[in-house]
Amino acid sequence: MNEQQTETIGSATLMSTWMKTATAFWEQTLRQWPGTPDMSGAWPSGTPSKKGATGRPQETLASVLKTWQSLSELMSEPSMIESQVNGIGALPEIILKMAKSGAERYLHLQHEWVRRVGKIGERTKAYEFENLDQELFKAWSEIYDQEFRQLLNMPQLGLTRFYQERMHRATDEFSRFQTTMAEFMHVLFLPMEKSFNIIQEKLLQMAEEGTLPENPKDYYQMWIKILEGHYMTLFKSSEYIQVLQRTINRHSDFLAAKQALMEDFCQMLPVPTHKEMDELYKELYHLKKKIKVLEKKMESVQNGKIP
Amino acid sequence: MAQPKIPVNLIMSKLAEDAEKAGTRAQKATDVLLGELDTQISATPHEIVYQEDRIKLKYYRPPGRVRIKTPLLLVYALINRETMLDLQPARSVVQNFMNEGIDFYMIDWGYPTRKDKFLTIDDHVNGYMDNVIDFIRAKHNLEKINLMGICMGGTFSVIYSALHPEKVKNLVTTVTPTNFDTDQGLLQIWMKALDVDRMIDAHGNMPGDLLNFGFLLLNPAQLMINKYVGFLENMDNHKFVENFIRMEKWIFDSPDVPGETFRQFTKDCYQKNLLIQSKLMVGGRRVDLKKITMPLLNYYGKYDHLVPPEACELLTGKVGSRDTTDICLDTGHIGIYVSSKCQKEFAPKIAQWLKERDGEMKKTKRKKPSSGKPAGTKTKTAAAKAKTKTTSVKKKQ
Repeated sequence: MNEQQTETIGSATLMSTWMKTATAFWEQTLRQWPGTPDMSGAWPSGTPSKKGATGRPQETLASVLKTWQSLSELMSEPSMIESQVNGIGALPEIILKMAKSGAERYLHLQHEWVRRVGKIGERTKAYEFENLDQELFKAWSEIYDQEFRQLLNMPQLGLTRFYQERMHRATDEFSRFQTTMAEFMHVLFLPMEKSFNIIQEKLLQMAEEGTLPENPKDYYQMWIKILEGHYMTLFKSSEYIQVLQRTINRHSDFLAAKQALMEDFCQMLPVPTHKEMDELYKELYHLKKKIKVLEKKMESVQNGKIP
Repeated sequence: MAQPKIPVNLIMSKLAEDAEKAGTRAQKATDVLLGELDTQISATPHEIVYQEDRIKLKYYRPPGRVRIKTPLLLVYALINRETMLDLQPARSVVQNFMNEGIDFYMIDWGYPTRKDKFLTIDDHVNGYMDNVIDFIRAKHNLEKINLMGICMGGTFSVIYSALHPEKVKNLVTTVTPTNFDTDQGLLQIWMKALDVDRMIDAHGNMPGDLLNFGFLLLNPAQLMINKYVGFLENMDNHKFVENFIRMEKWIFDSPDVPGETFRQFTKDCYQKNLLIQSKLMVGGRRVDLKKITMPLLNYYGKYDHLVPPEACELLTGKVGSRDTTDICLDTGHIGIYVSSKCQKEFAPKIAQWLKERDGEMKKTKRKKPSSGKPAGTKTKTAAAKAKTKTTSVKKKQ
């Protein structure tokens, strides 16, 4: 008898014993409850055998236990036990595969982060914004799009699928807007950083030349001019325009998604939705326009301008 | 290598001196800020003579005799409010116009709400503006009135004058964008990249706060830092604080812009530049600039970061009028109306220009006006650093 067989027989005995014990336990418990049929469906003496005379919970319980008994008998068959044991034996392998897959994804994420973070040090020159230092945000966006966004965009099922979709969309758009906003704020801060670097260099040069201003206000004036110059350069760069455009678009998308979600809540309350109000406003707008045209025509007729 | 010479002792003593001054200033500032402050804007008395939906028409009666026969209608932009023309008593275009004897009206566009989101340029120009102008014409029993537009209100006035030339006697445009195909201004660059459909579909109307944020971003160093540093340095000055608060009140009082108007303005003007090419369609009619045959005075600022000179100066060459004047002042977008230097000449110049063209009897006097020169003359004397680009009336052959 090899080791594998010993393990299988041991597991089978254990399984069979456990099932028998569990069945006996529930049978005993059931007997304690007066007016409950036993597992075979027979009613204790002195109780009406008519179905429906006892409570529905007892009937349901008896039915469940009967199913369990049948199942446990079936499971106690040697062939079934072997099959179960095989399944149990495969479990660690499945778990290992899942863990491996998860670990690979995690390592991929980590690798991406490290790769991107490594680039953060690659800074742009003063008054130049061609290659903005945005790697962190790009990395996060990509990771979010590849790993998390897909979950939120999964098709929803069932009666509430549209509500769930709107909820997920709002969450998704909020995350995307937050990421872009963070990137935008980072870009806006770049001129600050650069202007501080420049002013340091300038002061060092002035110190060497012995031309440092004595008035602290002059330092501020120097810095604000440098800062203004950096902002002007940044704002004209195509990189900034792209970030600005992306931020505005994501903001609009988030607002639209939030609005759609809010409309679901508004419908539950006695509150008209934007959609409903817009329809009304549009009708009102066209009606007013028509009335104004008619009024003008009538006025012209009264003044004799139109025959 | 010689050791760098840093006057640390001088810097430190100056810092200590400044810190002491700042302490005293903060103490005084507390009294100023907690005391009574007159920060009211748009305080000049006026009547509301016409009202339609959210629109109001303000009427300002000159204190003395009316010196210009034809009344003037001022059309402000939909962005920010017309109160800018009457910010403070000593620096008020409104008061200067009244002192010049101009009988004038001003449109208050009000605060658009969500129900106004469907209003288009056509509704503003051929609807509200036309109704207001008809009201003034009827009240004064006149065929034509004088029209003056500011910024986007100037663009509306140009469109109106092209569509209804029979109702406009003289046209004055100030810091008015008509050519949007320029990379001189950041706004022009940014607006080209804007997905306006997405934005308006999501917002309904264009939020005033969002626009304001955009304007602050045009120069954050000055508008978000230096401006407030200036305030801190002067917050013990009662008058300075009052005027500063007035300006803050005006600048952040930003009504939303009706969605469809903003959509059309962005697409047709900023992105397609149709107006200056006489290709813009409003209310099913083409806005042909050649139809603008009345005298045109075109003011703009050399350092305007919102509407740069390039956005304004093409207009006079594109209209059908034979009497056009361009005046470029050495100032920015708002400076034309609020800087004390410009105040001295802006309103008097317009009044003079209108006087020369007001009434048939003065028609023959349309020779090279001395009024075109003062700005230029003043530049030379450096009084207002103002410069007249085209000082004389252009006689088109």
